[in-house]
Amino acid sequence: MDFTLPESAQAVRRGVADVCARYDMDYWQRCETEKRWPEEVWADLAKGGWLGLAVPEEYGGAGQGLLELAVATETLSASGSAGGSAFMYVLTPGFGALTLARHGSAEQKEALLPKLATGEMETCFALTEPDAGSNSLAISTFARRDGSDFVVNGQKVWITGVQRAARMLLVTRTIPAERARPRTDGLTVFLVDVPEAVRAGGLTYRPIPKMGANTTPSNMVFVDDLRLPASSVLGEVDRGVAVLWDVLNPERILLAASALGAAEVALRVGVDYAKQREVFGRPIGANQAVAFPLARVKAEIELARLMLYKAAWSFDNGLPCGTEANIAKLAASRAAWEAADAAFQTHGGMAYSLEYPVARLLADARIGRIAPVTEELLLNHLATQVLGLPRSF
Amino acid sequence: MNIVVCVKQVPDTATERKLRSEDKTLDRDAADGVVNELDEYAVEEALRLKEAHGGEVTVLSMGPAKATETIRKALAMGADKAVHLHDDALHGSDALGTSYAVSQALKKIGFDLVILGSESTDARTGMLAAMLAERLGAPQLTLASKVEIEGTAIRVERITDYGYDKVEASLPAVVSVVEKINEPRYPSFKGIMAAKKKPVETLGIADADIAADQVGLANSWSEVVDFAAAPPRAAGTVIKDEGDGGARAAEFLASKKFI
Ligand SMILES: Cc1cc2nc3c(=O)[nH]c(=O)nc-3n(C[C@H](O)[C@H](O)[C@H](O)COP(=O)(O)OP(=O)(O)OC[C@H]3O[C@@H](n4cnc5c(N)ncnc54)[C@H](O)[C@@H]3O)c2cc1C
Ligand SMILES: Cc1cc2nc3c(=O)[nH]c(=O)nc-3n(C[C@H](O)[C@H](O)[C@H](O)COP(=O)(O)OP(=O)(O)OC[C@H]3O[C@@H](n4cnc5c(N)ncnc54)[C@H](O)[C@@H]3O)c2cc1C
Repeated sequence: MDFTLPESAQAVRRGVADVCARYDMDYWQRCETEKRWPEEVWADLAKGGWLGLAVPEEYGGAGQGLLELAVATETLSASGSAGGSAFMYVLTPGFGALTLARHGSAEQKEALLPKLATGEMETCFALTEPDAGSNSLAISTFARRDGSDFVVNGQKVWITGVQRAARMLLVTRTIPAERARPRTDGLTVFLVDVPEAVRAGGLTYRPIPKMGANTTPSNMVFVDDLRLPASSVLGEVDRGVAVLWDVLNPERILLAASALGAAEVALRVGVDYAKQREVFGRPIGANQAVAFPLARVKAEIELARLMLYKAAWSFDNGLPCGTEANIAKLAASRAAWEAADAAFQTHGGMAYSLEYPVARLLADARIGRIAPVTEELLLNHLATQVLGLPRSF
Repeated sequence: MNIVVCVKQVPDTATERKLRSEDKTLDRDAADGVVNELDEYAVEEALRLKEAHGGEVTVLSMGPAKATETIRKALAMGADKAVHLHDDALHGSDALGTSYAVSQALKKIGFDLVILGSESTDARTGMLAAMLAERLGAPQLTLASKVEIEGTAIRVERITDYGYDKVEASLPAVVSVVEKINEPRYPSFKGIMAAKKKPVETLGIADADIAADQVGLANSWSEVVDFAAAPPRAAGTVIKDEGDGGARAAEFLASKKFI
């Protein structure tokens, strides 16, 4: 058994760290305060080919896999951006490029992949609805056939990155949930041209004021009689669930990677402060009550990383990776939260000051335990699907 | 055109740098080695000249085994090949010794143009370009903020305290660059992967016809006699503005002979 990362992933770690070295914690804090997309970093990542890592070479990418993408996400996050930068890798390289590479038609790939590889074109993903979050199969946004077109109506919530997206992966029902047998049947994913749909009046959105991760707005989305040609279906009509698995597993893996990086940042910030802050005439880190939570976080980070790489490797090798992705997500987002909380406690009153980065780290780390899938639902999966315990719902 | 870029590995300025008590040389193992920042500008300029005029870019670095990381970075940016001048006998060479060793390696490699950074961030003598030019009998065009080549003519804008001088010479020549000259590119994914396969030739002193009695700590013309940690910064002077803040700040600066 060999635990060394492949050279390609090591190259990603070095290269992305190099790009990020020019942007410090203050830069990321400013982006958050100003609610501003990190344009400069995005441009630099694009220039070095770091956004197109998982795009096949014939479409202008580097032909690598989810492992390389996960390492890039982790490295970016660990450089100081922490959880807020997750969307830079999840939305376009993840939702857009990975999904299209696996499920796009030849025309869709030709038209979109080269631009996704260079970051010139961005994407977002719309699944969650006001009445369907954890129970995502219960979505009611409906795509009705009309001649050779589809006409879509419904409402989505929390859809992140719509503002910059050229395309939205819109998840709809083409068979209502109550009639679908099995319930995973009758889902259809569309590739919506966002600016076009907005112009035609079929799509409107409104940002939701939120507690953190403000570099990328999350939105209420309203779909009204949105007319879509059949050529905009991604994958097959009614069989969208196949596409969904390949969106949701990488999403979990990339968000786990981002959480892992966030845990690293929080740990670093906490440890630095514990070394340098003196109370009762000695560094506070000399107290085990301060040191142990930090040490425990270190252990949690290393454990989560093993599962994260295993999950990404399984996905790249076409092996089942749902359970691995879920465990990685559970462990990494826990580690990020515990790390931020430990860093927070270590900082004493200063943690509450917005002049220190800890408050931002704590706010961002909290999302990981909710989105894209809650901790409870991950545990439900382990309980029912892996342990065979009876379902409660 | 055959361009050689001299690249030095220096300790990361963000980490604590230490001298070794035994021989008063830099403890290169104690800190992460990174590319001397100005040398990235030198590599970038070499790549731009190659893109405009064709030819080949060779990286030359003198340093311990771990300098290979620095060499790989320059190759990842796009240089074609590298020469690593590496020999225990070179340890502790001063600027004269270093310039001798590097010039011997340059004679061996051959060049139309040698590009350096104008200063390293560790030893910071800023003398290497001048010394190399002298040893190689080539014109020196230091502190360049712009380089143009036309045939065998090379024209440089050389920054000065009052603006810049326009300096012209003919190739082969030695140029050192300042950071105003360009914006160095980041290594790309493809660049990093390709760098692993690019040739790196290691030269010892015998391979480069370097006389052992002209290099190394024992043969240095300059000697570090003693060193001490910089004294901790004294508490600052706070001037509260009560209407006369400007005048009092000026008074303070004048008392320290800053103005
Ligand atoms: C910042 C942010 C960005 C997001 N971006 C996107 C996006 O781009 N696209 C998108 O489609 N969605 C996005 N989401 C939505 C996210 O995926 C959902 O919020 C998440 O899936 C949870 O769904 P919900 O909010 O409806 O919670 P609910 O499903 O209402 O759950 C509420 C609580 O009940 C618990 N619960 C429910 N059922 C059970 C059960 N059976 N057993 C135990 N506990 C249970 C849950 O764990 C949770 O704690 C985003 C969310 C956030 C916060
Ligand atoms: C703390 C310290 C103090 C020192 N003090 C002295 C001293 O007072 N006098 C003295 O003579 N020596 C001194 N040295 C020795 C020092 O090693 C040499 O001066 C050095 O090898 C060359 O000079 P530089 O780094 O100052 O080069 P600079 O002239 O400042 O660097 C200009 C450029 O030369 C090129 N270059 C420099 N070194 C190399 C290399 N090894 N390989 C390839 N290209 C290179 C790079 O392009 C660089 O940007 C000192 C070293 C240290 C670490």
